Amino acid sequence: MQVKEFKIKWGMVIDIDKCTGCGACMIGCQVENNIAPMTKKDPYNYVQALTKDRDDPSNKLRTLTWMNIYELSNGQPYPNHETAYLPRPCMQCGSPACVPVCPVVATDKNEEGGIVSQIYPRCIGCRYCMAACPYHARYFNWWDPLWPEGMDKGLSTAVSPRPRGVVEKCNFCHSRYLDAKDKARQEGSDPMNLPDGAYVTACTDICPTKAIHFGDLNNPEHKVYELSRSKHAFRLLEKLGLHPQVYYMSEREWVRKQGDNYNAGGGAHH
Amino acid sequence: MTVGATVGILFTPTVWKALDDVSIWTQNWPWIPRLKYGENKAVATVSKMCESGCAVKVRTVAGEAFGTMGNTENPISGGGVCPLCANGVQVKNSPNRIKSPMLKGEAVTWDKAKEIVAEKLAAAGSKVAVISGDQTGTINEVFSALLASKGSDAFYAMPCDMQSACKAWNGLMGGSGQVGYDMKGADVVLLAGADALESWGPTVANMKAFADNEGGKFIFAGPFQTKTASVTSKWVPVPAEGMAAFTLGICYYVLQAGKSVPAADFDQFKAMVMSGYTPAKVEAATGVKADAMAEVAKQLLTAKSPVVVPGGSVGAHAAAFALNLLLGGGMKVLPEFAKAVGSAMSRAEMMKNDILQGVNADLLFVYEANPAYVLADQVKAGFTVAFDCVNTETTAAADLVLPIPHSYERVDDLASPYGLPQATYTMGAPVCKASLDVMNAGDFVLGLADLGFESFQEVIDAKVSAIGADADSLVEGNAFVLDETPDVSGVTLAASVLGKAASPVKGTGAVAVAPYTLLNVGTANQATTPNAPCTISNNQLVGDKLVVMMNGTTAKKLGVSVGSKVKLSGGSGECQALVQLFEGVMDGVVAAPLGMGHTTGDEFSKGKGDNVYKILTVSSEAATGASTWAGSTVNVAKI
Repeated sequence: MQVKEFKIKWGMVIDIDKCTGCGACMIGCQVENNIAPMTKKDPYNYVQALTKDRDDPSNKLRTLTWMNIYELSNGQPYPNHETAYLPRPCMQCGSPACVPVCPVVATDKNEEGGIVSQIYPRCIGCRYCMAACPYHARYFNWWDPLWPEGMDKGLSTAVSPRPRGVVEKCNFCHSRYLDAKDKARQEGSDPMNLPDGAYVTACTDICPTKAIHFGDLNNPEHKVYELSRSKHAFRLLEKLGLHPQVYYMSEREWVRKQGDNYNAGGGAHH
Repeated sequence: MTVGATVGILFTPTVWKALDDVSIWTQNWPWIPRLKYGENKAVATVSKMCESGCAVKVRTVAGEAFGTMGNTENPISGGGVCPLCANGVQVKNSPNRIKSPMLKGEAVTWDKAKEIVAEKLAAAGSKVAVISGDQTGTINEVFSALLASKGSDAFYAMPCDMQSACKAWNGLMGGSGQVGYDMKGADVVLLAGADALESWGPTVANMKAFADNEGGKFIFAGPFQTKTASVTSKWVPVPAEGMAAFTLGICYYVLQAGKSVPAADFDQFKAMVMSGYTPAKVEAATGVKADAMAEVAKQLLTAKSPVVVPGGSVGAHAAAFALNLLLGGGMKVLPEFAKAVGSAMSRAEMMKNDILQGVNADLLFVYEANPAYVLADQVKAGFTVAFDCVNTETTAAADLVLPIPHSYERVDDLASPYGLPQATYTMGAPVCKASLDVMNAGDFVLGLADLGFESFQEVIDAKVSAIGADADSLVEGNAFVLDETPDVSGVTLAASVLGKAASPVKGTGAVAVAPYTLLNVGTANQATTPNAPCTISNNQLVGDKLVVMMNGTTAKKLGVSVGSKVKLSGGSGECQALVQLFEGVMDGVVAAPLGMGHTTGDEFSKGKGDNVYKILTVSSEAATGASTWAGSTVNVAKI
């Protein structure tokens, strides 16, 4: 697939040297996007006795963590060991691997801004896109989203809860983009030229060290424009040619090297 | 005809439309909640789920709270939220909330509850005690005034670094006010045991200071490469029990460079350090290389505004304060805000009693604290009244449980969370109405004794006017900042005590244990929140099994490897865990996460992992007499 270019290219620059891996972004993301807490029992399953419990949150293949944090290690023994944390949203690739494999066009990259969409009611749950994504950014609803009693009353209006059988992923809090554009229209400014900070994702908002920067990678007035061009910036698995719209930066060389599977001599062990 | 049918099927939209409909129908189940739309707002308040408390804005839709965001206007937040408070609304709506007053497991009315407590209070005389899990609220004034009216001074805080700092600064060194640290303005920050970017002090404000501090160098010293150490320029491995000695080892170089302070016992301090804490002696006692201390000292000495932030024992705090005074950098002394309740204790008085030495009372009030989980052996009472909004081990064991509103449903405040560089006051008004049969603990206590106020709202109003803040501005979420410095001229360096207290004392177990707190796992008083389990790494929890980390050398010595099942025994109990290898742990140390292994609560915390507090050993620090968990060791057996 050709790289899709847009006038506006929403992207992130995540400063790994600032990320402590605290997990606030992951919580903020779940709250914003109505991801239900992982409960073992399903009160609507009337044959619970015959079936297994729903998945445990420590089974990381079965969580719904649109934003996930990976731990990196420089692979050195004590006392030369160093560690770093890498938050991983959807990369919103310029040439996404997931889009061409979708048999029902439930995922596409065709909107100004370059966010890879995911249309839940259209998804048939074949999971080809999950197999195609090298970043493991896509998640499958193995179970229905069920909130413990009373907890479903406080839901975000950003996105409807998705049922089981559907693949979902980070969409850069797309409803916030729509809201920002609406606000610009109401205020009589150009929705296609939002100022820096008018539209940011929930994880960007909540991050206590402000390690996540968000903006238009094509707009020199946005901070990410400069940051993404810094000599310390890199992208994950750049050599695959998927052109992610998420950049990372670190002054630590070993971190940058791991970003591109440069692990010929060992490298990450987690 | 076959051809006709094939062509027909291919060209009719019915099939494709039906498939589309099926996909939509099969996603519309009655149990999938539908969203309720309405006006979106963000209302400023405070969240008290983490130890220091967060200044937040609660996001509401049509008046119903659904999410938590930071408050950019407030210096405690700067826009960020900690992972605990980020899940505040979900805890507020959790089925784990306490729904009505409970007397020994039976629901009772508030009138009945009040009658019982009034009776017990009259009978207890001065044998009344309070344990508060709140470090910053004016609610503590109400509780301490109640104690004062009964002639008791048995106010206990849960063990925390603020307490160690108070005991060192206000106790040993004769200082007044509260110590704070300017991490934003400092050019070198030595975090001597303070996991400041993960769990220590006002974490979110620290993280903001770290982010805003361009060019500043952060150094972390501790037994384990915590999350804080993942972003600092350097990690200096120092055992927890050796932190005070390590700090005095740095003092040695600083004194050698000619630094001095006009403290009465400076000469004694200098003599004590120059003879007892030479780099060679510290190296022998702690295993920290003299070169490492020299390097840290050099960086602190060449900095314009260095600051040392301590964590751990009282001795470690006193040593760090002495070092800060010598360096003359970013350590600040904050004035205490004026009291609202005249007969209440000051913060230093509240921090005086040592809960680890045991509590014994006829009537015990526990406010948003979980001593039954942390200190199972130390707390004894004839009758326990527990105020909390969710079920905990403490509410399960209490005689009377009184449900209070969640942070977002009540009026509350944050007065100078420990660690902030300036005296900062933030107030929180209710964001939404309480949906359960709850009562503010302040209102309940004011109904028991005449403390001069009718309601807790009046107390908060009095506090606001006593400190001279603007109530309207506070309601909008702004902080009131007092920029004064109390007189510190009479401060001593606690030379006589420190010389003995700083000497490392370690248990006799096979390996030292380095307990650590992660806010997504929870704190001593707040269990794991509903959305947090999937954020907890397999380095802390696998399935329901606790995971402890050690380096390869330690594992080899113990004969264990990745995934080995082990039993850790120490203190008064034992824990079961799986082994994970992590080279960011010192030799001979096992890093174990606190906050798991709850026996009460919801499925997000109950039965998850094991409770590491059980295997910690409480020891009494030489000369200061303060209790500490530093120096805890455990034996490890493969099972």
